[in-house]
Amino acid sequence: MIAQLTKSERQLALVILLAITICGLAMGIAGRDDPLGVHGAIVILAGLAGIFGVIYAYYEPEPSEARLALYYDDPSKVGIILAMGWVLIGLFIGDWVAWQLVFPNLTFDAGWSSFGRIRPAHTSAVIFGFGGNALIATSFYVLQRTSRARLPDQLSPWFVLLGYNLFCIIAATGYLMGVTQSKEYAEPEWYADIWLVVVWVAYFIIYLRTLVRRKEPHIYVSNWYYMAFILVVAILHIVNNLAVPVSWGHAKSYSAFSGVQDAMTQWWYGHNAVAFFLTSGFLGMMYYYMPIRAGRPIFSYRLSIISFWGITFMYMWAGSHHLHYTALPQWVQTLGMTFSIMLLVPSWASAGNALLTLNGAWHKVRDDATLRFMMVAAVFYGLSTFEGSFMAIRSVNSLSHYTDWTVGHVHAGALGWVAMITFGSIYASVPWLWKRERMYSDRLVEWHFWLALSGTLVYVFAMWNSGIIQGLMWRTYTESGTLAYSFVDSVAAMRPYYIARAIGGLMFLSGAVIGCVNIWMTIRAAHQPADERLADRPVPRPAGVPAFQPGE
Amino acid sequence: MENDLTVWLSKSFGLFYLIAMSIGIVAYAYWPSNKKQFDDAAQSILGNEDRPWR
Amino acid sequence: MNIFRLHYRLERKTIGFLLAIVGVASIGGAVEIAPLFTIHQTVEDAPDMRVYTPLEIAGRNIYLREGCYACHSQMIRTLRDEVERYGPYSLAVESKYDHPMLWGSKRTGPDLARMGNKYSDEWHVAHMTDPRAVVPASVMPPYAYLGRATARIDDLGLHLKALRTVGVPYTDEMIANATADAYGQAAPDTPFAEGVTKRYGEATNVRSFDGKVGDPTELDALIAYLQILGKLTDAAHRPVAAAGE
Ligand code: HEC
Repeated sequence: MIAQLTKSERQLALVILLAITICGLAMGIAGRDDPLGVHGAIVILAGLAGIFGVIYAYYEPEPSEARLALYYDDPSKVGIILAMGWVLIGLFIGDWVAWQLVFPNLTFDAGWSSFGRIRPAHTSAVIFGFGGNALIATSFYVLQRTSRARLPDQLSPWFVLLGYNLFCIIAATGYLMGVTQSKEYAEPEWYADIWLVVVWVAYFIIYLRTLVRRKEPHIYVSNWYYMAFILVVAILHIVNNLAVPVSWGHAKSYSAFSGVQDAMTQWWYGHNAVAFFLTSGFLGMMYYYMPIRAGRPIFSYRLSIISFWGITFMYMWAGSHHLHYTALPQWVQTLGMTFSIMLLVPSWASAGNALLTLNGAWHKVRDDATLRFMMVAAVFYGLSTFEGSFMAIRSVNSLSHYTDWTVGHVHAGALGWVAMITFGSIYASVPWLWKRERMYSDRLVEWHFWLALSGTLVYVFAMWNSGIIQGLMWRTYTESGTLAYSFVDSVAAMRPYYIARAIGGLMFLSGAVIGCVNIWMTIRAAHQPADERLADRPVPRPAGVPAFQPGE
Repeated sequence: MENDLTVWLSKSFGLFYLIAMSIGIVAYAYWPSNKKQFDDAAQSILGNEDRPWR
Repeated sequence: MNIFRLHYRLERKTIGFLLAIVGVASIGGAVEIAPLFTIHQTVEDAPDMRVYTPLEIAGRNIYLREGCYACHSQMIRTLRDEVERYGPYSLAVESKYDHPMLWGSKRTGPDLARMGNKYSDEWHVAHMTDPRAVVPASVMPPYAYLGRATARIDDLGLHLKALRTVGVPYTDEMIANATADAYGQAAPDTPFAEGVTKRYGEATNVRSFDGKVGDPTELDALIAYLQILGKLTDAAHRPVAAAGE
């Protein structure tokens, strides 16, 4: 890693790491009797580890000019490994949380392990840890291939990747200590938020600098989606996290917004985190990896453009459907509902575009679990966007809101769409990145696929049942016109579904464990002969696809 | 600014904006002279490129 | 690469494209959110609305810290069954001092918007310590450790100050006495208790919430907060609390 940096990059790395260490020191001193101090210590450790790493390899020979003739893939490799690490953590905590609703005393009488603290640890580990690392890793890969240009330098990709993971670690450890803004999916406190902005700006600059040097006249559509992801997440993140810290020595801050404005800002953020973190970026992934794996160009490139702008435009209005029948003014609710329903059009255009791309390659879908991961992801994408539009209808929402149906819906999207497309893309790119002919074991990919699919189905069906039962029980009246069930009745009725859900989650987790083993074995496999490594990826050019003409 | 006015602006402006946007995008996507560019782009990722162009 | 050409290309395509994304994306949020900041003209008035006491703020922060919002909403919707189950539907004004709001998104447990005075302090102590001792079918986590931990109140002045910065009308006097008031609210027989009612109103709950004398525990603070939920103003009880659309 260090050996690939030029001398001046090594020096710059030292300066940055020193600055990070000093920030950590300041946090540690200012927050010595606050959780902020613990985070200061973590930052110092991270900074020092980096400094030692750089000094250790400081006098290694500089990389040769020849590197410039190759893509820079090491950050992508590490990013994929980190993503797989986070998915294990996130899924494990998730399943633990699920079991807590079956056996509530699984907290062992401690604070850090109680439901309310580990639940955000679960969501952040899977969304930001797994999803974020996968997005960064694949975006670097795709960006270089589609621009036919190498990343601008060797240092900034590492800054983004490792800096981002520092953010994830601060976030996750913070929740366990009770450091949270309590804004869903935006829980990290002010200092972590500021750090993320710094990392994000660097990420954006990498994108810009590579795109500017691209050798293709046209920016491939995947990059549109990745860029919308980077840009809009930045806007959302900054606005929603505006807050005033109690002092420089406190982890705690108070949100700049309150009440109804805060609710609207929060769900504008929350829903668009779904749109631009969990949808846009992963669509970018899909539009690159799926055509290549299937060996066919995207069914309709034009449709992908139309759906891009549709998604970018309409999602932004949809957030208020999280606030139906609340104290939010009704016209905002109606607007949110209308746009949520219209969103079905670009969403299904994307899903349909993906599935039609597979037309003529269905035999591959049958034989190749990696491609099947992507296919199922597109199907789940279609299903959960339909469900989402449906649930945004006011009268449906009056039943579904606050219940497990929402949880089921989110997991249809998160497990069925996000995780599946990611696993598919990772299985596709691991052999390409590490120059292997194929994954260590195709059978293990099959196992992972079936465990993931059945786990998702068990999960989603359990939550549909529990959510609808819950919603109905809350609004059932006796003949004499009183409420038929107490709240606790509805809690008791959930038990079988909570057990089923936890089992579904366990299946999904086992699949991911298998995936990690498989990836690890692939990486460890002996190097292949050089002539086999020459080709960037071992996909034969499909018949009828003309060779690319330079200078177009 | 008056609340009624901002609300009114939001409600009306949103609609016009949406329609103008949609027309613009569809026109761009189906503009005949753009066709070749898009077709090339769709094919471009399938090319067997293993290193950046210099 | 020639610097001018670089600039040329940067400007024409990439930057234009990025601006398009930002423009297209930000409008939706702006149109929906901006009018909400002029909303005070139409939102209910609540002249009787009081701010949270320092101890209640401490309790609220424990509520945040423990992630109670992951299971409990504080937003009663305008639906008949909700109004009958929980009480008058929530008004926007009721959370106007809530930085951040805790409307919530999931009811694994019941809504807490009108929790104030619903149960006795003793009930809460027993329930928080071991929910299943009170409600056998409950899936709520046990929070016995809150009763063992002393609440941190020495820095509450800073908290009130930060809250004032974001718009909650705390007076200088409230900020200066924050720690003493937090102590006094849970210690009715001490000289500190008087200042609490003086500054925050006669209706403020001044008592030992966890039933123990001495420094307020985290449980004291949390219960003080739970007992004020829905009680900051009567506004919600004033209009005909009719349900439905
Ligand atoms: C795992 C989800 C969960 C978490 C986290 C949780 N609760 Fe609960 N809570 C429940 C459930 C389920 C009930 C209903 C059964 C009962 O009364 O115990 C409940 C009931 C309550 C009640 C009684 C409500 C009533 O109207 O009867 C209060 C008060 C309460 N919880 C407060 C809290 C506080 C304060 C926290 C955070 C420290 C918290 N809860 C965290 C699930 C949760």
